[in-house]
Amino acid sequence: MTNYSCLVVEDSPMMRQLIVFALSRIKNMTVTEADDGIVGLKKIAQARFDLIITDINMPIMDGLKLVRKIRTDERHKDVPVIVITTEGSKEDRERAMALGASAYITKPIQAPQVIETVKELLKI
Amino acid sequence: MSTRNDNPERASERPDLRAERETFVRNFLHKGVELTEDLINENRGLEAQLQKFQEENARLRAQLASNDAIRELLQTIESLQEERTGLLNRSDELEKQHEVHRERYSAVEQELNDLASLYIASFQLSATLSVRRVVRHICELLEQLIGAQSFVVYLVTPDGKRACPIGSRGHGNTKFLMPLSAEEGPIGDVCLTGVARVFAPDDVREPGDPIALLPLVFDQEVIGVIAVDSLLPHKRAWARVDDELFKLLSLHGATALIAANIYEKQPGGRAALADLSEYVEDRESLRHSPALDAKAGG
Repeated sequence: MTNYSCLVVEDSPMMRQLIVFALSRIKNMTVTEADDGIVGLKKIAQARFDLIITDINMPIMDGLKLVRKIRTDERHKDVPVIVITTEGSKEDRERAMALGASAYITKPIQAPQVIETVKELLKI
Repeated sequence: MSTRNDNPERASERPDLRAERETFVRNFLHKGVELTEDLINENRGLEAQLQKFQEENARLRAQLASNDAIRELLQTIESLQEERTGLLNRSDELEKQHEVHRERYSAVEQELNDLASLYIASFQLSATLSVRRVVRHICELLEQLIGAQSFVVYLVTPDGKRACPIGSRGHGNTKFLMPLSAEEGPIGDVCLTGVARVFAPDDVREPGDPIALLPLVFDQEVIGVIAVDSLLPHKRAWARVDDELFKLLSLHGATALIAANIYEKQPGGRAALADLSEYVEDRESLRHSPALDAKAGG
């Protein structure tokens, strides 16, 4: 049985809890939480993740910068990255995808949508 | 001893007899040949007929065998047909059962998501004792769990006359929003009754009227109102869990705001519980008072 590790970078505790809840429904999934981009980068430097989920709008370091950093990291350059955007922010979404994001999820987050996207990217 | 030449009479008859004999012999032989040929021909005909009969017999035997095989095949087809019907019926039953299970799974999944939303809402509202964070959590809850696009969270002034905005989304900066009367209009009604007013997204309502007005109630007193002006584009109807979230927001939101406001005036957790310690000590001393002990002993 394969084990998966996921990093969730989200400044809103409620959103983070929602995502963690959704991920807890996937078997053998370990979740690491980070409340901003800098903390996320530190976690990436410390461990290798199979999947990264990040919000776009965050203080200190936004999701777009984080995606760019992830794609330059040797260990994580091929790791699937899911960005969380708001319904109206089409530009952010397009920029994130151009920077190398693998998929996006729009707010408000629905657990089934998160599960489906993660399973698709991890080919579970 | 006699020779042919010894009998002249017989010698005179000899050519005729000889010819007659030869003719007879020739005829006899000829008849014999004809008879033989007839016999041979008849034999050939009989042989051909026998061959024909044998072939006919073989054909009939083959047909009989073939008929038996067909009969067996027909029986097999019939039993297979019955088996197929049985399997189709079973498949239909299983399909129906599968559909029922799928619906149940979907319902359970939805229920689980709803419970998770309620748990997260409740958890987040009680996870902080900072007024700013409580307001932020109320706003996030409205955005993330309910799907509100634009809304204002009002706090009713102690005299109950005005509703002042303390948080909002989709209206620019909250500090530029104007306080409203808490005694008039739809907000006044909600402040007075403490009953939520929720319209369906398709319902016709007065221009400017919020789609939902939710009171923040503590101890039967309305301490604030949430006015939801619009929903996210893909939110076309209220979900079943929204009603529960409104109730949770109404009660837990008010409690969280009051608790956070009281707590922020205290230097820390222990100081906030100082009065509680005195209350407990009073109760303890009352329980072990000599008068009570004497009463209990007597």
